[in-house]
Amino acid sequence: MHERRKSLALAAAGASAMMVLTACSGSGGGPAEGEREVTWVINSLPAAWASTNGSGSVYTVQMLSGVIPHTGVWQPDGTYEYNMDVLAEEPQVINDDLDAGPFQYSFTLHEDAVWSDGTPMTGEDLRVTAMMSASPDEGYCTTCDSRGTTNADMIDTMEVDGKTITITLKEGLSDPEWMSQFDSTSASGGFYPSHLAEENGWDVDDPDELGEFFTWLHETRPEWSGGPWMIVDGDLENQVVKEPNPEWWGDPVQLDRIIMPFNTDEGTFVNAFNNGEIDGANPAQFSEDVIAELEGVPNATVTIGEGSTWEHIDINTENEWLSDVELRRAIFTAIDRDDIANRTYGQGFPDYELKNNHIFDSNSEYYVDHITPTGQGSGDTEAALEILEEAGYELDGDTLTLDGEQVGPFRLRSTDTVVRNNSVQLIQAHLAEIGIDTTIEMTDNLGEMLVGQDYDIVEFGWSGSPYFTSSPEQFWHSESSSNFGGYSNSEVDELTEMTGTAANRDEAAEYANQAMEILVEDAYVLPLLADPNYFFVNDRVAGIEDNLYSSLRATYNIGEWSLAE
Amino acid sequence: MLVYTVRRVLGAIPVLLLASVLTFVLIDLSGDPLADLHVQQPPPDPEVIQLQAERLYLDRSMPERYWLWMTGIGGNGDIGLLQGKFGPSTQSATYDIGANIAERLGVTLRLVGAAMVFALGLAVLTGVVSAMRQYSKLDYALTFVGFLALAMPTFWFAGLVQQAGVSFNELVGTPFFATVGDGTYQAQGLSPWGRFTNALAYMTLPTIVLMLTSFASWSRYQRTSMLEVLNSDYVRLARAKGLPNRVVVRRHALRTALIPLTTVVAVGMAAIIDGTVLTERVFQWRGLGEFFIQAVEANDSFALMAWLMLSGTTVILANLIADLLYGVLDPRIRYE
Repeated sequence: MHERRKSLALAAAGASAMMVLTACSGSGGGPAEGEREVTWVINSLPAAWASTNGSGSVYTVQMLSGVIPHTGVWQPDGTYEYNMDVLAEEPQVINDDLDAGPFQYSFTLHEDAVWSDGTPMTGEDLRVTAMMSASPDEGYCTTCDSRGTTNADMIDTMEVDGKTITITLKEGLSDPEWMSQFDSTSASGGFYPSHLAEENGWDVDDPDELGEFFTWLHETRPEWSGGPWMIVDGDLENQVVKEPNPEWWGDPVQLDRIIMPFNTDEGTFVNAFNNGEIDGANPAQFSEDVIAELEGVPNATVTIGEGSTWEHIDINTENEWLSDVELRRAIFTAIDRDDIANRTYGQGFPDYELKNNHIFDSNSEYYVDHITPTGQGSGDTEAALEILEEAGYELDGDTLTLDGEQVGPFRLRSTDTVVRNNSVQLIQAHLAEIGIDTTIEMTDNLGEMLVGQDYDIVEFGWSGSPYFTSSPEQFWHSESSSNFGGYSNSEVDELTEMTGTAANRDEAAEYANQAMEILVEDAYVLPLLADPNYFFVNDRVAGIEDNLYSSLRATYNIGEWSLAE
Repeated sequence: MLVYTVRRVLGAIPVLLLASVLTFVLIDLSGDPLADLHVQQPPPDPEVIQLQAERLYLDRSMPERYWLWMTGIGGNGDIGLLQGKFGPSTQSATYDIGANIAERLGVTLRLVGAAMVFALGLAVLTGVVSAMRQYSKLDYALTFVGFLALAMPTFWFAGLVQQAGVSFNELVGTPFFATVGDGTYQAQGLSPWGRFTNALAYMTLPTIVLMLTSFASWSRYQRTSMLEVLNSDYVRLARAKGLPNRVVVRRHALRTALIPLTTVVAVGMAAIIDGTVLTERVFQWRGLGEFFIQAVEANDSFALMAWLMLSGTTVILANLIADLLYGVLDPRIRYE
């Protein structure tokens, strides 16, 4: 018995000593002592080492923040700023008068701008990036599958002169948002080092070889950088580690290291944050539980704001009943948007704002409230019934009729998410108030349902961007494949075409707002609200904030992050 | 023994073949690999969807796809299990299912290995102690712990263990336990001692979670088995002959009592593999469990098939090893 007790005591002492020793080594989380290190979570696994191809995502863009140089970024307040570390001067439109000649603009890079291997950045880097961003039909690259070809496909010629590139668009085309060509919003997220193609033996003017360079960029961890940070370690499964780029010519960074772990489970955020393993994140999904827990953590700052995806209700105008604009107006008037917003996001995001302009949010200089004056989305049942009565409809008990025939019933559809499930049930209740019967049918194939016009009333979302000029034509032009509800108005067609081809953004915004005014009168699309996003950060990190106008989110100013004094 | 092993391996082939047919059909019926494209907003061009369907062989019938998946004959060179190719992935055109499995296998083996060793050790120890002290307070306490562990859902228990780790760190004022990641990157450049403490920091919590459910059921089996053996005639005879209790238990009783546990452990491999799925997700280990979740989220049918075939093979192998171990543990069994 004595022997056994002695053994147990020895084992216990050994275990305790091990715990103390290992605890002293402190290996479980947080930065090593004296190191200015920040750990910033990327909320999903990036699919590649470059963001241009079809699998490019915001996670790839965020992972590469501070590594890929870009020419500009949208700021958290909705204004646009050129990246004057990279540019020598603000880029210029050389010609926007199509009568005088083709649309032309130029970018000139900063004279000190170099890649991390010391090679100067030149207009050739911009040219090669544009070539890789274009669709294969343009003939630059046979296998480049760019996820955004619109801007690059407009290009006719590119002339490089040292640090300057002059771009000329094809005859008759103009691009009011030409400045996006190499900025953080572009498919490439910036521009790439073309000299690496030559170093690896590829001729960028050979379409096949440019394709090989494109693939190499996506498959190879960048050992190069054109920003304040460079990736020194990592993979696409676990994390990347960034350290200062020794060749960075701008203001020096204030941290020694940034670690970006890929964490796909938001449920782990709070424990990892409390344990000092992460300093923050800008998750893609809105999670009320995680937000509530984080708000109770003393050293955490949590912010919630409107994200880029906005919900809306569309009507199939080719439905026999719903082709009547008065009926559509009554439907939109009976729907109570505030009720929907409050019951879906109100608890976690009580400061939600209803969307009253399809394209511009209320911070935009181009914002005009098109919805409120019409009473649409107000849930005003009386007003809705009045519209119907004037149009000859009658409420027969609980059923709306026209010439004795029941109106509807209508198929109310959406994708099967918690938020949209709640939302369509509320819409169903709102429409029942005016005698309209609806059947809810959820789908897991939104594309097929929309393209096939397999709905009467539908709720879904569009992903918005501060770059707006192509959206109106895509959404509402009678010949657009994305105008699912078959809406057709020649005035709107003309205005949306003019939006896309305006000489500048101011002019384009004017046309877009005119189109929306008509669209609202025609009661085709009722915007609800933008889905909220949240961000949290440890108070020890300074100079960091969420940026919901950029896919870079909080990493948009990664070169300016520091530790609080 | 060799002949027996070869016979068993050959016998496993039709089992695996049948399992592959069943799982292929079930996966095929359970989800649309193009689902993400179908809910994309704005919806992609139908031509894009068609190209993707062709890349994933979704333009072929189910039997054709199974034939392709198995043999690769008639494919684009990226498919054919018999050629060592697992097929194209929905996750991206460059996603290599085989390479991913190979990379992640080590991560999962580390976790599963540690969890099995500790679970088995603890289960044998507590099972034997419980049996020898039947109906004592210690037996009741161990029984209570066992049932508690059995009743706890893994994801919930994992959250509790994480929280406990964080509380421990706060208590000692040093971040000893890590709650996310497998620590591979953190181990780089460390001394051997540093690597050891790093491994302890990252492995302790997930290992506790993964071992707990297995430990609970195994310890119950071990207790029952040990009780049965302790009450058998030959053990009574050994005691009657005056052999010391320690010798009776260690040399005669325990060895026999381990035989049923061997079967249970082999069958329990499936539960451990299941456990890694949740444990790796909660602790953010990029192992085969996380591979499975990613495949499910991406409706990646070929990746799912690869995972299921791998886990099926593992279970069959575990059963084979268990059968071979009978011969070692039970002198009456000989493989001719």
